[in-house]
Amino acid sequence: MPAVVRGRVHEADPVEFPAGFHGPDPVGLLPVLPLRDPVALSDLQSVPFAEVVDLLAELGGQLALSRNDFLQEALSLLPEFSDLTADVLRSTYLQLPGLFAPEAVWALAERAIGAEFLDGWVSSGGAAVRAFGARAVHVIAGNNPIIAAITVVRSAVTRGDAIIKAPANDPVTAPAILRTLVELAPEHPLTRHLSVLYWKGGDTGFERGLYHPAQVEKVVAWGGFGSVQHVTQYLRPGLELIALDPKLSATVIGPEAFASEAALRETARLAAADVGVLNQEGCFNARVIYAATGTDEAGLATALRWGAMLHEEVQRLPAALSTPARRFDPELRENLRGLAAAPDWYRVVGGRGGEGAVVVSLSAEPVDFRDALSGRVANVVPIDDPAEAVRAMNSYTQTVGVYPDSLKRVLRDTAPLYGVQRLVSLGYATHFRPEVPQDGMEPTRRMIKWITDESYDPASTHPFAHLAPDAPAWAGEVR
Amino acid sequence: MTGEHDPLTFAGNPVEYFNGSRLAMHTLPRGELERLQLEAARLRFAALRDRVPVLTTMAEEQGITELRGLDDAAPLLFPHTVYKSYPASLLTDNRFDRLTRWLARLTTVDLSEVDARGLGSIDAWLDLVDERTPLRLAHSSGTTGTMSFLPHTAVQYDRLYEMVRLDVTPDADVDVVWPSFRTGRSGIARHATAMGQQLGGSPDRFHTLHDGHLSADVMHLAGRLRAAAARGELDRVRVPANLAERRAEFEDALDATGRGMGEFVQRLADTLGGRRIASLSTWDVFHGMAEAGSGRGLRGVFAPDSVLLPGGGSKAGALPEDWDRGVMAFAGVDRLAYVYAMVEVIALNMLCQDNAYHVEPWLVLYLLDPDTGRVLPRRGTVTGRAAFLDLSADLFWGGFVSGDRVTATWEPCPCGRTTPRLHHGTVGRFGGAGGDDKITCAATASALTETLEFLNGALV
Repeated sequence: MPAVVRGRVHEADPVEFPAGFHGPDPVGLLPVLPLRDPVALSDLQSVPFAEVVDLLAELGGQLALSRNDFLQEALSLLPEFSDLTADVLRSTYLQLPGLFAPEAVWALAERAIGAEFLDGWVSSGGAAVRAFGARAVHVIAGNNPIIAAITVVRSAVTRGDAIIKAPANDPVTAPAILRTLVELAPEHPLTRHLSVLYWKGGDTGFERGLYHPAQVEKVVAWGGFGSVQHVTQYLRPGLELIALDPKLSATVIGPEAFASEAALRETARLAAADVGVLNQEGCFNARVIYAATGTDEAGLATALRWGAMLHEEVQRLPAALSTPARRFDPELRENLRGLAAAPDWYRVVGGRGGEGAVVVSLSAEPVDFRDALSGRVANVVPIDDPAEAVRAMNSYTQTVGVYPDSLKRVLRDTAPLYGVQRLVSLGYATHFRPEVPQDGMEPTRRMIKWITDESYDPASTHPFAHLAPDAPAWAGEVR
Repeated sequence: MTGEHDPLTFAGNPVEYFNGSRLAMHTLPRGELERLQLEAARLRFAALRDRVPVLTTMAEEQGITELRGLDDAAPLLFPHTVYKSYPASLLTDNRFDRLTRWLARLTTVDLSEVDARGLGSIDAWLDLVDERTPLRLAHSSGTTGTMSFLPHTAVQYDRLYEMVRLDVTPDADVDVVWPSFRTGRSGIARHATAMGQQLGGSPDRFHTLHDGHLSADVMHLAGRLRAAAARGELDRVRVPANLAERRAEFEDALDATGRGMGEFVQRLADTLGGRRIASLSTWDVFHGMAEAGSGRGLRGVFAPDSVLLPGGGSKAGALPEDWDRGVMAFAGVDRLAYVYAMVEVIALNMLCQDNAYHVEPWLVLYLLDPDTGRVLPRRGTVTGRAAFLDLSADLFWGGFVSGDRVTATWEPCPCGRTTPRLHHGTVGRFGGAGGDDKITCAATASALTETLEFLNGALV
């Protein structure tokens, strides 16, 4: 695995990592890796945003899998490290060019930041504001290769300096994208402010040399509890953490779904997408599904029938979107087997061959291993009233898939109080939109340093005016 | 060995079968041992197959009607999750009647007359089962928020410690030191009780850190609090009123497990100094005792032929490298009698002079591929997930898959024993499997602290 540092590809003197691959010694790269002189960002800052858009568009064009040797090589290596299967990985790679398309980049700039703040000072109410890029380390997740691409786009749009830590479960995608960029525009300021390398998370010898406010201002940390946790030890004033911490998602299905045979089938099909697309590796995938079938005998019978349909529909998902897990979690397998001891409370549909399973609870209680559901295993929990489901949510609940949309309107004012961060129509949980807030905040916006320039005229405003007893509550410019 | 060839005596009462010879138990030729084990396994399976509903279900699912070889039982080894497969709300809502019905699927014991309606605590339920049945449920530490219940029997524990007596003190009673609560129903507490009775003889020779009872309810609440805190849902834990009322009792208990260790080792030195003792505990607790002793300048406290049985292992970095030296210096012994034991299986599997844990003959050892669960070959030296069929289990099914990764050798040991052996130092836990849901007294102290802190917060 090569490292790409500021437009240079490093392959020499590889060391072996415990994750099972080789790459350049991260400590050896430390002298050239961080941007020690903050003024060195001025070259990128002065690139007009439209030029950034053009370059990203060109890069996107080069990321067509059929024409890109770097991506092809990465894709051939990736199945060895990823929990996703080769078919599904291929589909995610085909998604990459679209993330760099001008429409997508403009949408991100406009909706997440406001493009005019990127190109210059925007005056408003007596103050001018401009968005400056920051020097950031991105500890990205590897459960979906598009995260590498999204990180490159976000960094380019904010015109920051990015050091990407390649994850052990995807050490190849980010380097392939950056090598493509190096070939395309080796000397462009954008290229000079993007780096990617692998080091073992928690390698304190290396990390102490990297995480210092004099050279890094922000750390964007995705993913597992461990990765977020160990970054926190380096935090101090001047070094900010933007944590996209581990999340799980759920589903709430209203009684309408069980009113007719057609609705049963349709909702099972939609829910199957939320459970199974990308092999349930994403935090946005559905796991516990609260189904308002009722909890009386008829309700439980419906839940069982619908659970069986859901399993069927998951099994029917096309292999390019969803396959049985590469390695079905043995602990989960044991948990599923263990439920054989409690047939009064749980029934398991499927699961014997590691193809996925649906556990149907026979009371309004999810299984106690609900946080460990993976490999296309869902837990259908019958409830009487959809509002009950919301009470089981917490701040680790990222996405809630909802059916029908009218129920979303009922839930959306209370669910966030329990911790829910995203409501989405059933079947669309795996649609990721980089331009909207994520995990209850706006990571792209937070990657920016927002700088203000405030003007006063002594002729109209005395320097002590703000402390005068009769100072107006609003001292800015009134329009 | 008795002339009579009776596989069920071999399985259920090895002391009788082997005429009280521990050496004989471990020196049967391998083929003979496996034939005996297979015969016993077939009899157990035939007797339990239709009477333990969970076994019935699993056997039907796998299409297994008889055991032709030992490996045929592998798909029937229960995952540890079986013993905590009930919905968590049964404990929090005091539905012990339904919990009893859940338990009934795991044993042949008729529980239809055990009326658990209206009980208000896990302790009360365990009491009831103790009183009304031959079962002696062993509960897990519950550190993951759920609590397992293993349906062992009084006879199993008694017979095991008759045997331990053969190893430790065949001729005379001995003082038994148990550095924890006097009574309790966790896996290790069940061992301690049996050890006190079988080795100590009378209650005044059973020396405990604390005179009270280790409450399953406290352990359970602490585990729930920890799980809730990890989920950011601490505010949603309801504290049962009967636990809140017992705050003072917990305070006292916590004091005993913390500061009390110093007073305990002093008391041991004063009353048992120079005498022969036997003691069973976990590595960390023995280490804690030694530390408390060294703080008071106590060394060589007991007679040199005392027997200390440490079990449970240590998480990496949790204990100093040379913790064992400290324990030996404190106790005044020149070796420790390590055991490889777990809540789910009734055996101690002691360490031999060649540094290997010998699997007791009534346990059929299986090594499973950690990913697929398939049985690995019974030859050479193999690393895998340890699983056992405990043939001493007669009222429940003794097949169990552990969360332990072990390296085992099937061929005879230089020490002369022929039973398969697990190499000391190779025993580890698989990530996730069983989590930290292990019985340790470290968990006991922190369980008490956490419960108290929460109760204090909740009651203010």
